[in-house]
Amino acid sequence: MNAAPTNPELLNRLAAEYVLGTLRGPARRRLERWRNSSSLLDERCRFWEDRLLPLLLPALRPVRPPPHVWQDIRARLELPAPARRGRALLYALAASVLIVLGVGAMLYWRSLTPAPTEAATIAAPSGTVVWRVEIYAAPGTVAHLSVRAGTLAAAPAGHDYELWALPKGGTPVSLGLLPHGPNAARRTLTVSQQQALAKASQVAVSVEPSGGSPTGQPTGPVVFVAPLRSVS
Amino acid sequence: MSSSAGSDRELDEQLVELLRGCAQSQAPALQRLYSLTSPTLFACLIRMLRRRSLAEEALQDVFVTIWQRAWQYQPERGRPMAWLVAIARYRAIDLLRHERSAAFPVADLPAVQEPADEAADDRTVTLAGTALLERCLALLTGEQRRCLELAFVGGNSHADVARLVGSPLGTVKSWIRRALQSLKACLES
Repeated sequence: MNAAPTNPELLNRLAAEYVLGTLRGPARRRLERWRNSSSLLDERCRFWEDRLLPLLLPALRPVRPPPHVWQDIRARLELPAPARRGRALLYALAASVLIVLGVGAMLYWRSLTPAPTEAATIAAPSGTVVWRVEIYAAPGTVAHLSVRAGTLAAAPAGHDYELWALPKGGTPVSLGLLPHGPNAARRTLTVSQQQALAKASQVAVSVEPSGGSPTGQPTGPVVFVAPLRSVS
Repeated sequence: MSSSAGSDRELDEQLVELLRGCAQSQAPALQRLYSLTSPTLFACLIRMLRRRSLAEEALQDVFVTIWQRAWQYQPERGRPMAWLVAIARYRAIDLLRHERSAAFPVADLPAVQEPADEAADDRTVTLAGTALLERCLALLTGEQRRCLELAFVGGNSHADVARLVGSPLGTVKSWIRRALQSLKACLES
């Protein structure tokens, strides 16, 4: 794969045509790859995205999308349904009763950070921690995953690291992209991810094209495999 | 538009906060972000894709992407609305690659008259930076400006723009190139 150009004039021209939308086809794909690795190009794209915005917004008359769109988004992301108003009131009532009863201990308990149920430390052969993955799947809570990046977490140019659960007797299930640099990521686990994790004793990291595996299975080299341990 | 400057900033701050919530997997943040920005993003997608059903599908993709990539958004590197609109426009352009035949360019007049939507949140339309851009656009020729709008707002390719303005492809390409050069010089001065 070609490296991104460095000539500022050329970068600016490509970025402007990309943002405008007239850069199409393979040239557009190539620029998207370059943007992931060239901070100069990324800066130029953001410049045009920001500056051209006022050309677009006044030309648009907001249109409220039909309700099923939001329901479909929620279903695709497996987001929990919002609490109903009546139920919220009931909870409020229950909570106040508890307070009246003086259950201060409950509030104290709630203020504690929940502990992870499983964790994996992904380390380089030298012992340097690259990522720390923690799974929070205690019954009655929204299952989620948190990843903290240590050192060495920069993916090769134009690529991302993707995390996988390796369920016994099954195919790998993606747990999403791993954060770069000092970022921490926290994301809700879908039902299929939770099921895969329940059957997994290992997680793996593969190198994937920017944005993640296009097939849903690891396509690039697997660079780390780490045990997933219960935290008691 | 001086009165909109304050509410623009407020809206920006609110959107930044909601994106931060999305990055932490807080579903209510996504829902609030959706109710604030989906009318504008949906309008943008309808304008580019022409077909409502396709725009609805694209809007789903856009919010799934926003949820997954919210952690990448950095407020110090650009306005949140620009980040959101970029996700929507790039998704539309990707879909256009498959959907729109070369014989079906999009004029700047909407083919479908959208009813005025009173329920839509007007605050989603933010105008910060308009004055500067307007000043810079005024330096362009009429053709240059029209070509930019057909490309940026309508999602038209060079070839579609050329067909719509009835000028040769090479001429249109160079109008657009010169328009962007002139805008850059003006916007950065």
